[in-house]
Amino acid sequence: MKWMTTCKETTELASRAMDERLPFGERMALRMHLAICTNCARFTRQLHEMRRLFQLETAANDAVPGLPPEARHRIASELQNKLDS
Amino acid sequence: MSLNTLDPHRWLADHGDYLFRVARRQLHSDALAEDAVQETLLAALSAQARYAGDAHPRTWLTGILKHKIVDAIRRQMREVEIPRDADGEEAVDSLFKQDGHWAEPLRPWGNPHTEAELGQLRRVLDACADRLKPVMAQVFSLREVAGMETEEICKELNITPTNCWVLLHRARLYMRQCLELNGFSKACTT
Repeated sequence: MKWMTTCKETTELASRAMDERLPFGERMALRMHLAICTNCARFTRQLHEMRRLFQLETAANDAVPGLPPEARHRIASELQNKLDS
Repeated sequence: MSLNTLDPHRWLADHGDYLFRVARRQLHSDALAEDAVQETLLAALSAQARYAGDAHPRTWLTGILKHKIVDAIRRQMREVEIPRDADGEEAVDSLFKQDGHWAEPLRPWGNPHTEAELGQLRRVLDACADRLKPVMAQVFSLREVAGMETEEICKELNITPTNCWVLLHRARLYMRQCLELNGFSKACTT
């Protein structure tokens, strides 16, 4: 690994770090770059913020329409069929 | 736990809307989401003898639903290939200069506080997610919305971990930019 990663490479590392624990060298490279680069530090914070918003949304989405009534009836009768069989 | 306490009609009444919303968010189709809910409840009914009752029914049903969503996605997918067109690689390249630095500085986001602000962000978030390339959207929402582990996603969709990282990286860069362009930085400046 080079002594300093570019911003583009750093976004790859920051993205992967959202999904798994990076190997030591890459973790250090990411940390070093983020310490001195405002844009990449901001990028990384925004990825976390985006995840937080998505999770918030799934948890509290009462505003989104629910199961349509026809589908509900259809599913209920499918379940009943299966219960009766 | 007796079978009487596991009433499938109760599952439909209590969790139908929730399951539908989760499925709808990932499949982007009412019909597919309805099918996924139905398959989930039927599968749950078959499996209820194995259900020990230690998990909250919603958690248990959501677990089954995730598999039904993946099945639906897999059925839809003709082939999984990383897009090599302008929406993929080139779009990423255009965000950076030749030397790998950001072409444009990133604008800060604030913290949304009010319900109205959150509601607006949700709409932007959904609109941006809908504009992702299909494969990217699927991997992205399985990861960020469903919260599946990447290893699980790769296995289920039969793609390599490297492809998974690349798709997620591009999807995140795209989403971040889309959110910024559509008022995220303005809507929630603090």
